[in-house]
Amino acid sequence: MNGQTFFSRFDTKWLVIACAVTVLVLFTALPMLYLIYRSVVVEGSVNLENYRVVYSNAVNFRAFVNTFKVSLLVTGLSVLITFPLAWLVGRTNLPGKGFFRTLFVATYMIPPYVGAIAWIQLLNPSVGYVNTFLMAVFGLTQAPFNIYSMGGMIWCMTLFYSPFAFITISRAMEKMDPSLEEASRIAGASPLKTLVRVTLPLMLPSVIAGGVLVFINAGSSFGIPAIVGMPAQIEVLTTRIVTYVYMGTGKGIREATALAVILMVVANGLLYASTFLLGKKEYVTIGGKSMRPNLVDLGRWKWPVTALVAAYGFVSVFLPLGSILVTSMLKSMSRPVSFDNLTFSTWKTVVNNTGYMDCLGTSFFAATVTATVATVVALFIAYLAVKTRTKGRAVPDSLATLGGATPSIVIALALIITFSGEFGLNLYSTVAILVVSYLVKYLTMSVRTISASLTQVHVSLEEAALSSGASWLRAMKDIVLPLVSPSIIAGWFLVFMPSFYELTMSILLYGSKTKTIGVLLYEMQTYADPQDASVLAIVILLIVLGGNLLLRKLSRGSVGI
Amino acid sequence: MAEVRIKAVSKIFGDVKAVNAFDTVVKDGEFVSILGPSGCGKTTMLRMIAGFERPSLGEIWIGDELVSSAESGVFLAPEKRSIGMVFQSYAVWPHMNVFQNVAYPLTIKNLNKEEIARRTNRVLGLVHLDGYAERFPNQLSGGQQQRVALARALVCEPRLLLLDEPLSNLDAKLRESMRFEIKELQRKLNITVIYVTHDQSEAMAMSDRIVVMHQGVVQQIASPVDVYETPANETVADFIGLVNFVPAELTADEVIFPSLGHAVKRDNACRGRARVGIRPENIALSKTETGLQGTIVHKFYMGDATDCRVAVGTETLRVIAKGDGFREYQDGDAVWLRLDKMIVFPVGDKA
Ligand SMILES: Nc1ncnc2c1ncn2[C@@H]1O[C@H](COP(=O)(O)OP(=O)(O)O)[C@@H](O)[C@H]1O
Ligand SMILES: [Mg+2]
Repeated sequence: MNGQTFFSRFDTKWLVIACAVTVLVLFTALPMLYLIYRSVVVEGSVNLENYRVVYSNAVNFRAFVNTFKVSLLVTGLSVLITFPLAWLVGRTNLPGKGFFRTLFVATYMIPPYVGAIAWIQLLNPSVGYVNTFLMAVFGLTQAPFNIYSMGGMIWCMTLFYSPFAFITISRAMEKMDPSLEEASRIAGASPLKTLVRVTLPLMLPSVIAGGVLVFINAGSSFGIPAIVGMPAQIEVLTTRIVTYVYMGTGKGIREATALAVILMVVANGLLYASTFLLGKKEYVTIGGKSMRPNLVDLGRWKWPVTALVAAYGFVSVFLPLGSILVTSMLKSMSRPVSFDNLTFSTWKTVVNNTGYMDCLGTSFFAATVTATVATVVALFIAYLAVKTRTKGRAVPDSLATLGGATPSIVIALALIITFSGEFGLNLYSTVAILVVSYLVKYLTMSVRTISASLTQVHVSLEEAALSSGASWLRAMKDIVLPLVSPSIIAGWFLVFMPSFYELTMSILLYGSKTKTIGVLLYEMQTYADPQDASVLAIVILLIVLGGNLLLRKLSRGSVGI
Repeated sequence: MAEVRIKAVSKIFGDVKAVNAFDTVVKDGEFVSILGPSGCGKTTMLRMIAGFERPSLGEIWIGDELVSSAESGVFLAPEKRSIGMVFQSYAVWPHMNVFQNVAYPLTIKNLNKEEIARRTNRVLGLVHLDGYAERFPNQLSGGQQQRVALARALVCEPRLLLLDEPLSNLDAKLRESMRFEIKELQRKLNITVIYVTHDQSEAMAMSDRIVVMHQGVVQQIASPVDVYETPANETVADFIGLVNFVPAELTADEVIFPSLGHAVKRDNACRGRARVGIRPENIALSKTETGLQGTIVHKFYMGDATDCRVAVGTETLRVIAKGDGFREYQDGDAVWLRLDKMIVFPVGDKA
């Protein structure tokens, strides 16, 4: 290698760093810092008066307490449900566990607000399918359930955020060397004792990590509290922030920042603390040559347990999806469900509604642009972090992680105050601001996916190309890119899908010409057009499902949600 | 201490017959190795003895207790078998320190504190880990983790100790010294040991008897000397040590090697075609013109020996000449060979 190419390589590298850092600083660091600044600086001087005013307001304070209460309960419930599920699926001879595993992981693909819409159809006090069914069967005069309640919110959130815990815990279960459990059995401990004394303590770090993810997601959730909680006057921080921003006044925005900053600090702080603490405690388990999990025989509990798991699967996935499907095809909502009350007419009107199709188009366009930009940027960031020894190589990666960890509502608010002309850049109600917000939130998905696969590509592979006479760029093109291409595709979809059905940020950032499908669905639900909403919900689900199947196929089965 | 009786045990996974009619008795206090290439079913057999797999056919007795029987459905859970086991990956629990790891089997038995401490410390001494009690596994080297696993397996004074390739993750030097330590421990504690390995020198050095397996089938059960000197078949001869196979014709008092253009006097029980195995160290090389002539094709200097490929007739034989007598020889030089010992495998059984 001569000095010339070395020098140009060196230059390219710095150019790449500079670009990545600039994009991230401009769109992630700057807005967040400015958000904090706006929340504490009043007329040029630091002043905590804003916080005092905001939190002494009874409604806000109640929202604050509700947020914590709901998040804690959802986290506790999620762990209680998913730990046994993950153990059953990963460590026992539960029949059909492959199917159950896919099912519980797949819940992750369903947008939470779609879940909320479904559960309103099932459990609303006047005409909920489950309520009317139970009333008819048991001759009740009153509906047994009311979805518009704290309990309803907790129920929906648990069903739709517990996959975060399930994925984390079951991954750890599968990675654990099974001989750690066998060693306990041979030492004389029963399966139950082994579970309590060996499996549980070994899983504790991942249980905590999964719990933290659920907590943060529940706390930053907007769709479910807005759809299920607001009608019952139950407010949480995110719904308060949206209400303040919708006031449209400077004062409203300022008060929203005080709520947002707390949310941001708690979410990032918790995530950082859990990675930091658990990073130290990460149990490195040396895998033996043949890591074949030794499955616990459920014995006579096999079928009762299977029935229980199947019931959970039915309630958490099939019941809500079935409800949406049925609602989308009813002729008349006021008549009972039967074959002669089914029709495709709602589907026809929805598909022929250009307004609806425009929203779908906007979401599709924004998500495609976001995913493509994210993939290119992520490739550079990941290469920088994994393959170079440059100083500050991890900075862009950490900024991407920061964006991913920050609650969506906070990102949206920060972007509003930063890019409404304040710094000479006005993106308000453009597609660009939607793309930027999705990018900030989901970039980390593709960075993580690509980094993980880049780590697997040993330097020697690249060096072998260099020593065969290839230039650095040529080695990238011929060796590195082909090897990581499944992860590039995977990363693209992992950004595309959540961007496509995004609601929380879009609701603050959309303009009259840039309404997204998530926002449309939300409006329909709140303005009571449940049938059209159901059709669109199914369209979203089909697109997400199709994307996921494509992803599995293209990444040769290595990735898929 | 216990005798282990394995009666016609088979294990079938789907359409893979991982273990096929394994049948042997491991005597009380005996050290038996199960030896074979990777994937031949060693671990599966060991796990059936431990109770982690159920036999598809046959039965297993430990002492006079029937622990597994496919036919009568008897199955004793692993925790009820009073066995010590050392896993290939050590399986030392990362959330417990050395003391807690080793004491675990005793705490399961709900013994009192003093007794647990006394017995744990004694075993830690036995495996030379005194002073490490408070350490956590991530502060230990591979060899030390290995000792923790060993101590944990021994702390209850089990009647039977099972080891699954316990040394394969250690470096070569440590591996050799651990062989002697494990052997010493077995002698001192006088326990029955079943030791799984794919390393023939490990099995040779430690075992009273070796069970050689290939593709799920037991090929031979014999002492190390017998396995090496009178292997039951070509598979065993090939797997244990090095061997040259040469086609031959047997007569009543001669072995004729058509491809070498050579014959050796020997009284044969069989007649007809045969394959003859000749170990490289059993061929004497000489510089004087006597016996079978060959040409050195390649020569590798090994320090304590010279490893040669010698072309003889239409064959190329591997010959190991101990000492430094052939150090100076060049490729292409002529040498003379004498076939000292041979292992005869008749082709087809014509007595
Ligand atoms: N749980 C299992 N399911 C399916 N096949 C298995 C299982 N355990 C072992 N096998 C198969 O049985 C054979 C023997 O495996 P094993 O006993 O682990 O071999 P070894 O320990 O000698 O390397 C292999 O072909 C392996 O793939
Ligand atoms: Mg094995």
